[in-house]
Amino acid sequence: MIEFQQVSKSYHDKPALVNTNFHLQRGDMAFLTGHSGAGKSTLLKLIMLMERPSSGKVIVDQQDLSQLSRAQVPAHRRKIGLVFQNHQLLLDYSVFDNVALPLKISGYNERDSGRRVRAALDKVGLLDKEKLSPSVLSSGEQQRIGIARAIVNKPKLILADEPTGNLDPALSGEVMRLFQQFNQVGVSVLIASHDLDLIQRLPHPVIQLKQGHLSGPFAMAGH
Amino acid sequence: MAVTKQAPRNASRTMPESAGKRLLREHKEVALQSWQRLWLSPLANLLTWLTLAIALTLPASLLLLLSQAQHLGQQLNQEHQVSVFLVPHATLEQGQLLRQELLARPDIAKVTYISADQALSNFKTSSGLADILDSLTDNPLPATLLIAPENAAQTPPVVAQLSQQLRQLTLVDQVLVDMAWLDRLQAILAASQRVTYSLAFLLALGVLLVVGNTVRLQIESRKQEILVIKLVGGTDAYLRRPFLYAGFWAGLFAAGLAWLIIQLGVSYLHDPLLQLAQSYQSQWQLQGLGWVGSLVLLATSCGLSLLGASLTVGRQLRLIEPQ
Repeated sequence: MIEFQQVSKSYHDKPALVNTNFHLQRGDMAFLTGHSGAGKSTLLKLIMLMERPSSGKVIVDQQDLSQLSRAQVPAHRRKIGLVFQNHQLLLDYSVFDNVALPLKISGYNERDSGRRVRAALDKVGLLDKEKLSPSVLSSGEQQRIGIARAIVNKPKLILADEPTGNLDPALSGEVMRLFQQFNQVGVSVLIASHDLDLIQRLPHPVIQLKQGHLSGPFAMAGH
Repeated sequence: MAVTKQAPRNASRTMPESAGKRLLREHKEVALQSWQRLWLSPLANLLTWLTLAIALTLPASLLLLLSQAQHLGQQLNQEHQVSVFLVPHATLEQGQLLRQELLARPDIAKVTYISADQALSNFKTSSGLADILDSLTDNPLPATLLIAPENAAQTPPVVAQLSQQLRQLTLVDQVLVDMAWLDRLQAILAASQRVTYSLAFLLALGVLLVVGNTVRLQIESRKQEILVIKLVGGTDAYLRRPFLYAGFWAGLFAAGLAWLIIQLGVSYLHDPLLQLAQSYQSQWQLQGLGWVGSLVLLATSCGLSLLGASLTVGRQLRLIEPQ
């Protein structure tokens, strides 16, 4: 699903990622860990095409990203469900409209979009909040709305950047269980997190980044 | 990939919609949404529309006045003629003969002979001095030949030369050519035309800048939304659309306001100008914009606003990229 081949990225001669190789197979779920500044964000940005690598090749869903022009970036991003640490919800939209945004962009009509949004909200257990503004929800609920938005388009791949960063352990566990449920129905999931306690309790491979270098068994041979 | 395998169950019902139909529906939605957004800050929008309307009103009303003044000028030019007053003792036959001779000249298009009697009766009806004129024993008016030169407007020197030659004829007492004021009118109109065009150009530029700046502020205030839309895969066309519609609506409202201002101005000026025209025995009246003028105003306003929005929106959207 995601393949990095000899990928390096530097900002103003400061290396953020150095000769990175890994392969996340279709249907896999993995964690990406490392201290802040270790290159986690850079790695996610390269997958989202918010950045281009200085060298090497990033392949997502069998598509070499270097082949994509600027105009093709939106279509690439629509294939990926993205979950942020700070949820990135629009506070002047209702919960429903926030979740419906990816569908609206893809041109769904109201009826189909309504059905899918409610299914996604049901999945994260917030069906009764669709008319509210995200600002009146708790941070755990906000994060789940963010997840509903990421899955509403039924993506093959979910990327999450510190999805439990602002949550207490109980809520974090809940969010992780959601990701596991999506993974169980075939969605590939890559979660950047430094919540080591949580990660170690879960049976998923861990990609470790240290100052731009991959370490751990995952780095060597995929797994 | 069980999830994606299941997905088409719902999606299959979405698919039959054709691309054209979908685009039309999306445009309808965005048009409606951007319309609704206008009324979130009605006062600010009204001020923008008024600014645009004033920028449109000035050149539009000048162009309106100018086109009607040119029309009047042409009318006067067509009526322009050389008046040849014959000597008092010239007979009817001599006058008719002279008319035939003059008609044969290539530089003369038309000659009308007005006998002394005819001139007197014309004067009686137009002046309202019938009683006084009746008391005269002699007719004080001479017979007249009204000569319309060929292409009078284009060749004033030819007309001057013609009148010089006419003066030398024995039967001719006096020749009147009053071209100077017509020349002046043409010159004034030509100068006003250039002033108006320059002004129109500058104010059109002003409209572009005002709309561009308004759209830039709107984009700035919706930056967060734009970032999120970019991250979830919104295309540039999708992002541009609401701002282009905002520009279009601004153009529409500005045109409406400008139309109102111009029509009010026309009705305010109509009576005094009518009196002025009547004092010159002219039937000329100040007209409003009419259908064609109104449509041109509408198209210009909407076109300029759309252009202003589209010139800004692409550049501004490129500046907002998720970091």
